[in-house]
Amino acid sequence: MALKFSRSRRTRSLPLIGGAIAVSAALALTGCTPSSSGGAGDNGDSDTITVWHYFSDENQVKVMTDYKDLFEKNNDGVTVDNVFVPYDQLNSKLISAVGSKTGPDVVVFNGADASTLALGGALAPITDQWDGFDDKSEFPESVVHSLEGDVYAAQGYVNLLGLWYNKDILDEAGVQPPTTMDELNSALDAVTAAGKGGITLSGLPQSQGEWQAYPWLSSFGFNYDDPQAAPLEEAFAAIQDWTASGALTRESVTWDQTVPFQTWAAGNVAFAENGNWQIGTARSDAKFNYGVVPLPVGEDGQVYLGGEGQGIGAFSKNPELAWKYLEETYFSAEGQAIALKDVGSIPSRGDAASAPEVTDDPILKAFAQSLADNGANYPAPAVPAEAVADQQLAVGQVWSAVIGGQMTPKDAAAKLIADLEPLLAK
Amino acid sequence: MSADLTAARPSRRLSASPGHTRRFPRRRSLSRRGKLLFALPAGVFLLIFSFFPLAQLGRMSVSDVSARTLNSPWEFVGADNFVGSATQGSLVPAFGNTVVFVLIVTVIGLIGGLAAAILLSTSTWLSAFVLGLMVFIWALPPVVNGSVWKFLLGDAGLINSIITGIGLSPTAVPFLYDERFALLSVAIVNSWAVVPFNALVFRAAILGIPGETFEAARIDGANRWQEIWHMIVPAVRPTTLVLAVLTIVYAFRSFDFIFVMTYGGPGVATNTLPFLSYLQAFVRFDFGMGAATAVISVLLVLVLAVIYARSVRSEEAHS
Repeated sequence: MALKFSRSRRTRSLPLIGGAIAVSAALALTGCTPSSSGGAGDNGDSDTITVWHYFSDENQVKVMTDYKDLFEKNNDGVTVDNVFVPYDQLNSKLISAVGSKTGPDVVVFNGADASTLALGGALAPITDQWDGFDDKSEFPESVVHSLEGDVYAAQGYVNLLGLWYNKDILDEAGVQPPTTMDELNSALDAVTAAGKGGITLSGLPQSQGEWQAYPWLSSFGFNYDDPQAAPLEEAFAAIQDWTASGALTRESVTWDQTVPFQTWAAGNVAFAENGNWQIGTARSDAKFNYGVVPLPVGEDGQVYLGGEGQGIGAFSKNPELAWKYLEETYFSAEGQAIALKDVGSIPSRGDAASAPEVTDDPILKAFAQSLADNGANYPAPAVPAEAVADQQLAVGQVWSAVIGGQMTPKDAAAKLIADLEPLLAK
Repeated sequence: MSADLTAARPSRRLSASPGHTRRFPRRRSLSRRGKLLFALPAGVFLLIFSFFPLAQLGRMSVSDVSARTLNSPWEFVGADNFVGSATQGSLVPAFGNTVVFVLIVTVIGLIGGLAAAILLSTSTWLSAFVLGLMVFIWALPPVVNGSVWKFLLGDAGLINSIITGIGLSPTAVPFLYDERFALLSVAIVNSWAVVPFNALVFRAAILGIPGETFEAARIDGANRWQEIWHMIVPAVRPTTLVLAVLTIVYAFRSFDFIFVMTYGGPGVATNTLPFLSYLQAFVRFDFGMGAATAVISVLLVLVLAVIYARSVRSEEAHS
């Protein structure tokens, strides 16, 4: 009887156990499989392309939506799936996805990270497509990202920093928009004496901080070809003069590039070191008269020519459609006009950049002048591809420590040189 | 427990009859096999999602793994990653920050949790409301919680507006951008997030004290402080030990609040071991070095996990 009972229990328990194992296995498999919204063509639908980007600003998101609408209108039955991935997670997600041979069809990423992503195997070489591209000659070499002889991405526009100013505050303080560092310092003294904020920028201890720091560091003669402590020390001392006088708040060490612009757009700060991609935000949020002048960094000063790179994911299920998307949106004159209209991005194509919408716009003209006078490759060519991420973090952390008052200019300069030496020698 | 007792009873009965002795071990063995089969899904789950990643982490920590080599065979480099992490100068300060951070979160989390539990151990509508609010705070994602506190602690935020408004300080307090305050501020916000959980557990322990004990104490003339000190505190001591270990582990692996509120800054003032590990692995793409730092953290947490397991067993034995 006992045996019968035992058998019966065993018989009944087997399906339960099997079911439990099946559910566990299903859960495990579900966990291992990228979600349909994140993976490229995981649904096997050849008429859908997935685009990963990190835009959260309303105007920048509009560009993505406009490109989706444009491409879907021109290509019947095709669906574009725009997927937001936070800036800080995009690179790691892309490189991690390589292990499972997944990822998006199209990647829109920080152009400076092109080599990191290419080394990590997250981008497919687009050399053949690029070589066969009819409008290739419209693009300057500085916006094409290559590594070890292969093209991996190109930029549909160029972003760079300029000095935004609040004309009402400058008029009230009786100063003109500055063209030199001395004029900027005088203007900062005047506006802070009038009870206004001086300048906003990002001091975040990462790549955004480095991007914002470099124009000021280079204006004192610093460069990555021959890094020296003396110009760094001078630059850091100048920045600490700003924080000491109250012209620059130390709170900027917690700000990414969006917060300082919103702070400036609120109307109580005279200057903002920020980019052309903020044109849409300025139009919608700034309720005062404003303008832009090139960053007053002198002849030695360099302003990075940044912007997002666009490439094809290494494991795209539909690379041909992905390339068609890039051709018809980011790399087309029509697509670049959309980005110009929505966010004020400076087109990378020669024909689009010479359009009256660019040359006649006083704001864009200032950025174009900065591009011509002080534009520099981003990242600096002297930084080896393997060391770019390290170099950006090292500079960003020291920049943050200087603004936060954590280090003296001398110590900060010495530490940064010590950090950079092994990286630049890689 | 009851299943074991039921199984033990027939064992004595059947062993008296030689005819049944052969059948009983088979039944017992089947029963054990059945139990093992039931444990199998959980075991497989643990193997895939806990032990395998841990083993990979260990292997990664002794290998040269970068963005370039992540998806190719990993070259064994011994202790190079551990040595590299230590010699680059960021490991020791991060360890110091972690210790300070854990201390603050544990002390505030436990004292705050107990105080809240004592205040909420009554059954009024107000305590029910506050309890509900605390559960809400506890359930908030850390990223949301951290972002809200980042605004509150800003120069123009609510906290600084109150401080300057009532004249406590002529200027805004640099909560998140001064190296003397930044770590403290993030740790206090982290404590704020852990207090509700600790309060809920403490409250359950306090409600377990028989009401007659309090009545007897009151008849003997004990005041509220004496009740707390001589009755509640001794009664919740085993719970405190378990919560202390849990809170320490929670604080030790805390990453999200630092990521959202300071990103390790100003400079590296709020870099803790988990955040340093993140920077090394996912910003610098030196996965090997990031794994080495993570292994150090795991080992430290493992020690705490052993203490936790022993304290739970000891509490069960006492109860």
